[in-house]
Amino acid sequence: MNRTHHVLVVEDNDGDFETVVEAMRLAGVSNQVRRACSGTECLTQMHMCLQQQTSLPALVLLDLNTPNDDGRSALLQLKADDKLRLVPVVVISASLNPRDVDFCYRQGLSAYHVKSVNHATHLETLKTIFTYWLTMVLLPLGRELEK
Amino acid sequence: MNSPQSIETTTALPWAGGPYSIKRHGTSLTVCDTEPVQTPGCIQAHGVLLTARRADLTILQVSENSADFFGKAPAQLLGQPLSCLLDAQQQARLLEMLAADAVERNALFAFTLAANGSVPPLDVSVHTTDGVVVLECEATGRSASQLVHPDGDFFALVRAAVSRLQNVVGLLNFCDKVAHEVRAITGLDRVMVYRFHADLHGEVVAESKLEALAPWLGLHYPEADIPKPARDIYKRIWIRPVPNAAGPVVEMVPLANPDSGLPLSMTHCTLRGASVMYTEYLANMGVAASLTMPILIEGDLWGLIACHHHTPTYFPHQVRAACELLAQVASLQLKSSDSIEQLAYRLKVERIHQQLVVKAAKEGDLLALSDRQPSLLDAMDAEGAALYHMNRWWCAGMTPDEAQLDALSDWINLRPEFDSINRPAYVTDALSSDYPPAAEFVELASGMIAVQISRTRRDLIMWFRTETVRTVNWAGNPNDKPLVAGPNGMRLTPRRSFELFVESVRARSRPWSEVEVDCALRLRLLVMDLANLAGERMADLNVDLTSSNEELDAFAYVASHDLKEPLRGIHRYAHQLMESVEALGGEDRQRLESLMRLTLRMDSLLDSLLHFSRVGRTTLEFVPVDLNEVVASALEMVGVRANENTCRIVFARPLPTVLCDMVRVREIFSNLISNALKYNRQKLPRLDIGFVLANEAEGRPQAPAAAEGQAIYFVRDNGIGIEQRHFEQIFRMFKRLHGRDEFGGGVGAGLTVVKKVVTRHGGEVWLDSTPDVGSTFYFTLPCTTASSAAAIRAQSQGSP
Repeated sequence: MNRTHHVLVVEDNDGDFETVVEAMRLAGVSNQVRRACSGTECLTQMHMCLQQQTSLPALVLLDLNTPNDDGRSALLQLKADDKLRLVPVVVISASLNPRDVDFCYRQGLSAYHVKSVNHATHLETLKTIFTYWLTMVLLPLGRELEK
Repeated sequence: MNSPQSIETTTALPWAGGPYSIKRHGTSLTVCDTEPVQTPGCIQAHGVLLTARRADLTILQVSENSADFFGKAPAQLLGQPLSCLLDAQQQARLLEMLAADAVERNALFAFTLAANGSVPPLDVSVHTTDGVVVLECEATGRSASQLVHPDGDFFALVRAAVSRLQNVVGLLNFCDKVAHEVRAITGLDRVMVYRFHADLHGEVVAESKLEALAPWLGLHYPEADIPKPARDIYKRIWIRPVPNAAGPVVEMVPLANPDSGLPLSMTHCTLRGASVMYTEYLANMGVAASLTMPILIEGDLWGLIACHHHTPTYFPHQVRAACELLAQVASLQLKSSDSIEQLAYRLKVERIHQQLVVKAAKEGDLLALSDRQPSLLDAMDAEGAALYHMNRWWCAGMTPDEAQLDALSDWINLRPEFDSINRPAYVTDALSSDYPPAAEFVELASGMIAVQISRTRRDLIMWFRTETVRTVNWAGNPNDKPLVAGPNGMRLTPRRSFELFVESVRARSRPWSEVEVDCALRLRLLVMDLANLAGERMADLNVDLTSSNEELDAFAYVASHDLKEPLRGIHRYAHQLMESVEALGGEDRQRLESLMRLTLRMDSLLDSLLHFSRVGRTTLEFVPVDLNEVVASALEMVGVRANENTCRIVFARPLPTVLCDMVRVREIFSNLISNALKYNRQKLPRLDIGFVLANEAEGRPQAPAAAEGQAIYFVRDNGIGIEQRHFEQIFRMFKRLHGRDEFGGGVGAGLTVVKKVVTRHGGEVWLDSTPDVGSTFYFTLPCTTASSAAAIRAQSQGSP
């Protein structure tokens, strides 16, 4: 896993996804972005990576309130999987509920962020996330996953 | 010798060293309990008594009056064979009776000795005791015309009486009937049924008498009136005649059996000489003859059938047999009557107790037990009842006052009786002897049953009985009669009895029956079940409350989340529009900016709403909090820094430490401080933060009644002030008195939150304000003691 690996964005809202892409551009990171519209889709993509022995994402950016199998369930399963748990997951959610926050960290979440209604603030939050996780943090090597 | 009283004889007694004789020692007695009534050494002089050796029927003892009946002095009879007084037929009858063994300690009529000169015919009854044959001879009584049925068919009479007795319902009715039947058969002046109470004092419960006589019904007598030796005898014999109480007694010659050296045991002798104490007592009451039968229930002396007559009266053996039979029938019948009565009482008490508990279950508290009809007093036979429940007393009938009850319950809750598994009740008929302070209310509560009705709290039910003296019906109060001293003074008179009785029941109540204790214990179980039930219901409610609180919480978050999503979209598009259309005209640009500002405002309104909803429901953490630190932290939150000369914050003295929820109380201060600075046009706003303690009169502001006895905290400003007409509405959610962009905006939730937090601390918030001068916000935080904190915590239990 390295900084060239893709970023998996779990986001059902098109506008919010657009904002994510804009933030990556503003942050100046060049990682490929893949999108999953639900927790289920996120898990499918991750398992596909394992099956086809392609690279896992460098980061999963997770919206908690997505349709179907929602973000909480996806987080639970990602962190329950021996291999997938290596991938840092960062939540960006509209929910301020302390129960959600506690739940996520208990599952092994890396960071919890709140979506601001103020677009500029929202954008700034995302920019910071990408700068931090894709340029400043030392990510796991995941050697056994390297192709 | 079978008399324990003789064995107990000590050297101090006047007859010590020789056999007792009423004639020699009887009037020297002062204490009835020491008198050897079973071996009195004397017989009543209206008859003659002989004893003979069982083995050879040689005469061993003769009463000293034998010459009056047989023309032979004792000396002429002693050592002679009994046969010298009997004809062949009588001898044969005697031997037959002895052989049948039916007369061991059971006197039976044997035969009648023919008249002899001036001596009338004598009825002879025979019994054996301690190896001697006892012959008692009395005039047949046929000449004694006072009796109604001198020659009647006693069997028919008794049979009719018994069948009438079988149809009587109720204990007292039955006793009444017994008295009437006995009087009908004997024709005596007065027949009473005398009942022993649990404390062995007696009461006349039924009476049949000559019209002219004063009633004795309802009279009580002390235990000492029928001393233990006498009570013991009545467990062994069915009848005790004293035909002529004033008549002389004659001694046995010799006093002791020459074979054994022991006095004759006269328990079963009809002629047994009566104690002087007794005859004197009868004489003092004007009674010449008495006849007494025991009423025994399961071997215990339940009472006596006592008959009095005002002239000497001889009781022929047929009358005696008839009375004996009636006493036995009465004993058997009374046993069932008594148990039926007890059962009826138990059923009545339990029926009412159950009604009370059902009512209590419906109403959810125990008040039904005390303040409605029926109450606790309608069940148990008591004069007062007190219930301690919901931290106060609920009394019915006559009870000590609340202060006395408080002290009593403090004492009683420590009683070891309550630890008993089988009988966790404190029962007494003499409370003041266990608990001396009860002396001040003995007349109200000498007797008490108390049961605890909860394990953890001090909830109690108590029943009280008044002092017996107050409950006794003194219909026949001997005080009302002129007093006649006996030959030995006043020592044995009804008056003295009455005094003794009063003494014996001072500070005592009627004793409680086992039925009553049982009923109290059963009520306790019913009430405790009820409490358990209520506890379970409360727990269910709490679970419901918890889950609905959690749901409400989740709802608030979801609502705010879902409402914010479109807001975020609107804000983004407006933002993007503004950035992408460079050439936007000034007016359009302003409109876009407004759109963005409105969405942000909507956002903060939603946040406030969510916050307010949580303030009302989260559990408060009551810990000792230093308010100085809280205010410092609140100042920091609202952006006031000490070294910046933007405002003046004045503390007259350091704030105290109080028990409260630190985070919430900080919200009170941050909101009040923030408002005080915001609504202020002064160049240098000034804030006074302080408090007035409960015991400080000086500087105490006008406050709501609920704030009485509380410390008051305040935040005072020199701001724009508030018109009085707005004092109420400023605490309403989203209520603003000014344009939303004036005074730095704000959503109008701050004071609503302040009010909520103060209320949740059990306090009050109010204000005092003059426009253009300034405002002061006051509040109280009553939760300064651990217990009130616990109470408030309990109220908010169930909140997540």
